[in-house]
Amino acid sequence: MTRPARTSRRLAAGAALSALFVAFLAACGGSSNSSNPAASTSTGVNGGTATIDMASAPDSLDPQYGYTVEAGEADWITYTPLLTYAHASGVAGTQVIPGLATALPVVSNGGKTYTLTLRSGLKFSDGTPVTASDFTYAVERMLKLNWGGDSFFTQTIVGASAYLAGTATSISGITTNDSTGKITIRLTAPYGAFDNLLAFPSVAPVPAGTPFTNEPTNPPSGVGAYIIKDVIPNQSFELVRNPLFASFHIPGIPTGHLSTIKVNIITNTTTEAEQVLDNQVDNFDAGDTVPAALLSQIKSQAADRFSLQPVETTYYFFLNQSKAPFNNKLAREAVNIAVNREAFQRLAGGTINPGCYLLAAGLVGHPTKPCPWGTLDSADLSKAKSLIQQAHLVGAPVTVYGEQVSPVEQWVEYYAGVLKDIGFDVTIKFVDGSTYFPTVGSQTADPQTGYSAWAEDFPNPVDFYLLVNANSIQPVGNRNRSYVNDPHIQSELSKLDVVPTSQLQSVASQWSALDYYVASQADELVFGYGTAPEFFSDRIDYSTAVFSPIWFNDWSTWELSK
Amino acid sequence: MAINQSQPAERLPRAGGVGPLLLDDIVVDDVVPGIGHYRLAARRLRRDRTALLFGLLFILIVVACLLAPVYSHDIARIGPNVNNVTGTIKVDGHTVDVVSPDGIPVGPTWHARYFFGADTNGRDVAVRLLYGGRTSLAIGFMAAAITMIFGVAAGLAAGFYRGALDAVLARLLDIIWAYPAVLLGVAIGTSLALGGLKIGPLTIEGNSIFIPAFLIGFVYIPYVAKPIRGQVLALREKEFVDAARGLGCGSVRIMVREILPNLSSTIVVFVPLIVAGAILLEASLSFLGAGVQPPNASWGTMIQSGLPLLTTSPQLVLVPGGMLVLAVLGVNVFGEGVRDALDPKSQIRLGR
Repeated sequence: MTRPARTSRRLAAGAALSALFVAFLAACGGSSNSSNPAASTSTGVNGGTATIDMASAPDSLDPQYGYTVEAGEADWITYTPLLTYAHASGVAGTQVIPGLATALPVVSNGGKTYTLTLRSGLKFSDGTPVTASDFTYAVERMLKLNWGGDSFFTQTIVGASAYLAGTATSISGITTNDSTGKITIRLTAPYGAFDNLLAFPSVAPVPAGTPFTNEPTNPPSGVGAYIIKDVIPNQSFELVRNPLFASFHIPGIPTGHLSTIKVNIITNTTTEAEQVLDNQVDNFDAGDTVPAALLSQIKSQAADRFSLQPVETTYYFFLNQSKAPFNNKLAREAVNIAVNREAFQRLAGGTINPGCYLLAAGLVGHPTKPCPWGTLDSADLSKAKSLIQQAHLVGAPVTVYGEQVSPVEQWVEYYAGVLKDIGFDVTIKFVDGSTYFPTVGSQTADPQTGYSAWAEDFPNPVDFYLLVNANSIQPVGNRNRSYVNDPHIQSELSKLDVVPTSQLQSVASQWSALDYYVASQADELVFGYGTAPEFFSDRIDYSTAVFSPIWFNDWSTWELSK
Repeated sequence: MAINQSQPAERLPRAGGVGPLLLDDIVVDDVVPGIGHYRLAARRLRRDRTALLFGLLFILIVVACLLAPVYSHDIARIGPNVNNVTGTIKVDGHTVDVVSPDGIPVGPTWHARYFFGADTNGRDVAVRLLYGGRTSLAIGFMAAAITMIFGVAAGLAAGFYRGALDAVLARLLDIIWAYPAVLLGVAIGTSLALGGLKIGPLTIEGNSIFIPAFLIGFVYIPYVAKPIRGQVLALREKEFVDAARGLGCGSVRIMVREILPNLSSTIVVFVPLIVAGAILLEASLSFLGAGVQPPNASWGTMIQSGLPLLTTSPQLVLVPGGMLVLAVLGVNVFGEGVRDALDPKSQIRLGR
């Protein structure tokens, strides 16, 4: 599952054709809820309608296709998988709980067999009874629709890759019994994060017979608190309460308070923020970035209904070790020493937190030691220059790839300036956001260095270590863009990959040591971790709204203020 | 040899580079015995104070931009692409961040350093304004040169030879003309910005200013070639051309020695208009990310990068925008003065 797909991208607003026109226009021109569980006492009212502004439309609201943050927000309360995440803010929200399954899976055969049982009496929102084989149908549909994270499943479930390749008519590793609701999944090898894979809405059951095509305007029925309806692509969609869901009495999953949630796609984030600030709209989507120009005003005028929530996203520049100059460790060390990570924070208007480790700050295994390259708010250009001289790399050509979107453009220009300052001959190549990640993930382009980011798919460090896992190196869709192939990392991963997410604390020190090792090797140039805005109108009861660390805003916990 | 000519209305590029003008009945001779055509035009131009004033304004802008390295090195003491995100500066005795923790750059200091303030990366706006001007003006002049050379050549060849060559060239020009200039520029510019341009042994990197210059020069060729072709079609039937043929002159010689001199007034009128249009089109393309590539500055890229901070730091848009307005206005008004001086009877009206 590639990070870029879950990146919310904002397009540059407007398209003025001449500077004259632009110049003319210019001339005219809180309280934290971080620990609120879903079950907290309601202080608001049931029913009513809330409106959300969203800058980027979901890639699709079809659960077996949608992969972006925006799609996840709507889908995880519409399509409940066998397992799901606790509807809680903070660390509590990373806990996997039973969804449509009666309990967490029984793991046997040395971690290679997972057995679950479907709850009885479940019905899709259209009234069709849910059967165990609907799970298999959803997995098959997800694979055939080429869902962005399908490789998680093809690499773990027996027969999934053969099914995707068309050499098998079903997935041999999944067996179901509709009469008992029993579901058995066999894995090719133990995989500690498999519980998390079962919590993706992409494997939530959908009715058998749903077409094997992406259905963005008419998403299939699901089992969840809400039903998606009236989808107008790139304009709007609505979620309405599912009248059947409350009768299933699934513990820990809210049945929703609001009758209707209206989502408007509005590409201008300045307008989006102003509308929420003025209480014309109820929520600024968490996948969007608050414009830097409005941040101070929002912080002062709406302090009681705005906060920046840390999310597990790592921002970095990859350093391609398969070619000069970054095949030389001195060059990689030099760039890690030469950048001031606080500069990246300022360029993002304060919306990221500086850091140098691959594992984001909230993840198990994030090192507590100081960064091996000095403090985060300083840079040592003279030392970096001497390293470049020592490596005889002065004047070496370096092309920096960047995505053509703010603040990435500013980050890339700063980074390119630093590379130039320490002695490289730098060229910048900006690529449109729609094609950036496929471009830099292709061996055809084979970039030396460039911007990248990774948002957690699930709360397990193994997800982030795809970025330095030698097995991730591929000719197309490459995630290991630095081409890291380190025997020590591979050896450690072989031991840590199998540890279940629920037991991660027992290996936290090993993950921490590994992450410190990766930072010391200067395998990447990590510069910060993400935040997401939680920004409401006065109409929403901010105190009971949950901010999920996985899916961001939990719309099913929202209620109107009294 | 002077001629009297009249011809069908032809389209010329409008100042904004967006729509055409209609040029009716260019009369290129206004002979007064004893005074040459250009001397007479110069005399008329000297009397046009407005044109001269705007011409002087444009020259001042050009000179200021040419002196950008001096300003950068000796006055501001900072380069155009030097990032200073975490630095501080003293303003009126107070130490302030060049870029605040919230990402807001310092405003105009009215001192040597950061005279017009800083941009989002802590770069000196005044320094980038002058360097950006060099880029914008260089592209404008290069593009105008490309347009004039190829436009005149194409118009001359099509009008003189007529027949199959004219048919092919005229259709090619129609195709380029029919495609909106900005869209064509974005389509080609985005592609070339990534991969550069390779024509035989000639290789131009994607971030070279030759890419937008070539691009803009290319899209404006029909705006020059078609009127020129129309004039040549009329000129080739004149007696002096027949006389030259009768004396055994070849086609190339007739075009170069007999017809081209009679097009000189039209060409002189076109140059400032094309320069103005090219500067504006460069700004538009750079604003849309298809022109000058970062970190190089141009007025268009400066406006584009300043737009997100329009409400808190309007100078990031107003300063380069204002400079662009003055430069284009200067060359445009001067160009109209030149046109009036060369051809006082000309009537130009807007229309399509």
